[in-house]
Amino acid sequence: MTGSRALIVLVLGLALSAAAEAAPSGLVLRDDLQREITLPRDPQRIITLVPSLTEIVCALGACGRLVATDEFSNWPAQVKALPKAGGFEDPQIEQIVSLKPDLVLLSRSQRITERLSEFGVVSFALNTESYADIGHSVRAVGLILGLSDRAAHLDAAIEQAVLKIGDEARAKHRGDGPTVYIEVDRGPYAAGPASFIGELLARLGARNIVTANLGPFPRLNPEYVVNHNPEVIFISPAEATSLAERPGWENIRAVKEHRLCSFAPEVRDTIVRPGPRVAEGMRAMADCLARVAP
Amino acid sequence: MGEAERIPQPPALSCRDLSVGYDSRIVLEGISLDIRAGFWTAVVGPNGSGKSTLLRTIAGLREPHSGVISLQGRYLSAWPRRERARRLAWLAQTPGDTDLTASEVVALGRFAHGGWLAHRQAVDDAAMYRAMVATGSLSWARRRLSTLSGGERQRVHLARVLAVEAPVLLLDEPTTHLDPPHQEDIARLLREQAYGGGVCVVSAIHDLSLALTADRLIVLGQQGLIGHGTVREALDGDWLSAAFQTRVNIVDHDGVHLWRPAVPPARRSEPINGSERGAPR
Amino acid sequence: MSVLRPAISILGARRSDADMPHRLGTWVACCLAITLLLTCGSLIIGTSSVETSLGWLFSPDAQSSVVLWQIRLPRTVGAWFAGALLGLSGAIAQGVFRNPLAEPYLLGTASGAALGVTLSLIAADASIGALAWTGKLGITGAACVGACAAIALTIGLSRGVLQTASLLLSGIVVAFLLGAVTSLLLLTKPDLWREMQVFLLGSTGFVSWSSATLLAAAFCVCAVPAVLLARGLDALTLGEDTAQSLGLSLPMLRLTLLGVVSLGTATAVGQVGIVGFVGLVAPHLVRETLSVNHRQLLIGAALCGGALLQAADLLCRWIVRPAELPVGAVTAFVGGSYLTFLLWRRSRDG
Repeated sequence: MTGSRALIVLVLGLALSAAAEAAPSGLVLRDDLQREITLPRDPQRIITLVPSLTEIVCALGACGRLVATDEFSNWPAQVKALPKAGGFEDPQIEQIVSLKPDLVLLSRSQRITERLSEFGVVSFALNTESYADIGHSVRAVGLILGLSDRAAHLDAAIEQAVLKIGDEARAKHRGDGPTVYIEVDRGPYAAGPASFIGELLARLGARNIVTANLGPFPRLNPEYVVNHNPEVIFISPAEATSLAERPGWENIRAVKEHRLCSFAPEVRDTIVRPGPRVAEGMRAMADCLARVAP
Repeated sequence: MGEAERIPQPPALSCRDLSVGYDSRIVLEGISLDIRAGFWTAVVGPNGSGKSTLLRTIAGLREPHSGVISLQGRYLSAWPRRERARRLAWLAQTPGDTDLTASEVVALGRFAHGGWLAHRQAVDDAAMYRAMVATGSLSWARRRLSTLSGGERQRVHLARVLAVEAPVLLLDEPTTHLDPPHQEDIARLLREQAYGGGVCVVSAIHDLSLALTADRLIVLGQQGLIGHGTVREALDGDWLSAAFQTRVNIVDHDGVHLWRPAVPPARRSEPINGSERGAPR
Repeated sequence: MSVLRPAISILGARRSDADMPHRLGTWVACCLAITLLLTCGSLIIGTSSVETSLGWLFSPDAQSSVVLWQIRLPRTVGAWFAGALLGLSGAIAQGVFRNPLAEPYLLGTASGAALGVTLSLIAADASIGALAWTGKLGITGAACVGACAAIALTIGLSRGVLQTASLLLSGIVVAFLLGAVTSLLLLTKPDLWREMQVFLLGSTGFVSWSSATLLAAAFCVCAVPAVLLARGLDALTLGEDTAQSLGLSLPMLRLTLLGVVSLGTATAVGQVGIVGFVGLVAPHLVRETLSVNHRQLLIGAALCGGALLQAADLLCRWIVRPAELPVGAVTAFVGGSYLTFLLWRRSRDG
């Protein structure tokens, strides 16, 4: 009698454990803040708080799953109609929580993860600063959304497009590329090789007058630019007209010969956001360089 | 042949129907006075009776509520600013804290004579020298006011006022901070200015005995002007008791009028020992 | 004659005071020497090494001439005049308000200028038409206009310049109000933050010869009435009533001097942004080392302020070369240290 009871307990135990394994278990992933997140199986209500992550979600075809984005997400056009949940520095917790999302995708530098978890909202942080982050984020988001295949394709497509544009650009100027100065803000704040746009520039074979040791966005002594005499300057449209007024700058080759690259705001978005449209941005940069470089 | 008829001089300062006060509060009203040159007039009265306010208004530093003030026969407001400053010098009760040197402060007294662009002339130097000698402040001409004691500072400010060499001097409590010997000096100085210099000296003075050494008194009380006239008239009319609304004893000692406080004289010469107190005798 | 000789010897001679002008002369000479030294230093120090710069000085070519004479020299000259304007304005403000903590921005100039620049940047982003306008005005024009508007608002709020207490209060209120509006506007456009930082922390990077000339002209226009009216400030230290009794017209004095402060500060802020502490510290330095007499104090504060800002400009270029620190951060550090030293010394003595 004891033997058969033991057998029944064993069989029941095995059956139960089998049943437990068959039941849906959430994905556990480590995010870029080094937290172990248990993700919901098939998140249908997603909020993104960074434009590049919005673009990634939509590039993977999951735009319909977005219930809200941050203020600055503006591509594709349909996300503009979605409710807004604040800016980069000040995401609105109340708005986010009231929309009852399954998942919130945000940047590593946004500091609201603790608050969100107090309300039981699952958040996943991803780095969105460099070129390598694009591939990493695409694959991570694909995994989370259960669209790993599509993500792999997208990743490969982006990589391919970027390499192609880079090769073409480098082929155009056999030898050294043009020297370029990228101004991000009047200061002058320059973009160094460690910044995203600096990386793109390097892939195009151009030479940044800012050296890597100065950091991604150094505030330069204006003299530095005059001394290095860049052949092309990337500048905002508003400043482009007044470059010659800066003392000594009228002697810079790029200013003298009007070799300036300015981008409209929509195009600028593709250049400064490490996201799926990076190839478009690079194409714009390459076209401009081909046009104005000596 | 007698003396040539002297053309009567207008009083150095006079006011008619003057009402003075702050913002909306009137402190004194209906004041009509003539203050003559060549005399030292002291303004006395209890705290809050409006001594400072009256002096300030007469000096032109406050607008009167109503009434007119005349300086040397001309309306105060009709005098051009610089001209008026040359004829009327003012000493505040509490001059501002300044770190200038004594000589720089006294030099400011000559401002009305020279103006913005002027350099110091010989006549300025002479006036400054006389003023500082008279107040005994010459020895600290190069020192900063912040390094001087209260009394020394007061004498420098007095020197500044004297350096103006104005025919009218208005002084608000000129003897504060001064120890008795210096108070004497100042009183003598004011008398000398009035008699010897023909200056019209008006000062508000707290100390009754000192005020009684003046020539004329303006006595103010809580209810307004009690009287103005010579010291003799004031004592005869017992204006001081009316002003302070209490018996004010003035005694005459060798022709000098002294205030005698009504405090019983001391009887003991030794202090009471604590253990003795309440002990039966 | 006999009374004059002792007078002269004790009170100090009229035009050639025994040791006062000596001290003033030495002091001015020192200041000018420091200025000269700093100017030479500014020519040598920059993104190139000292040897290279010296090489440029002795064997110039087209490129290096541009760097030396179009960039480094106007920058240091402009910094000197901006610092002189701030020092002068600070000394005047401390005299008019009889407050040793007064500084040139107390009429709300800084906040007004910041708001002007913010509006100009936002407008430039907004539309092409607005861009044309703001291009004409430039950051400098916008800052100047903003500063003047803030001053007008302050004076309007306090109903004239007669009451220094209400003027001070109005200045504080206006500074807070305009600062709040600026912050709100910047919240809507966070990408303007970095550019605003450049303005808010001061920058001598783009001072050209035309800027330097403008600053020099403003300095001359401000210095003349200031020095003429300096005696009035001396009289003010004795108290307002006393000053009035000496024959001063207080409204005229205040109006003119505050006008000088406004013009000086608005011009300086327009060209180099908001640089703090120079206007506060320069007069104190002069009081400690030279004199409290305003004629000397105003000139001294101008010279001292000029040298201070020159030195700050030099440091901000040298410390992290070839990058650059904001010059206002350097003046804050230097000025703050000096004030801390003064406080420490006072607590030790007192």
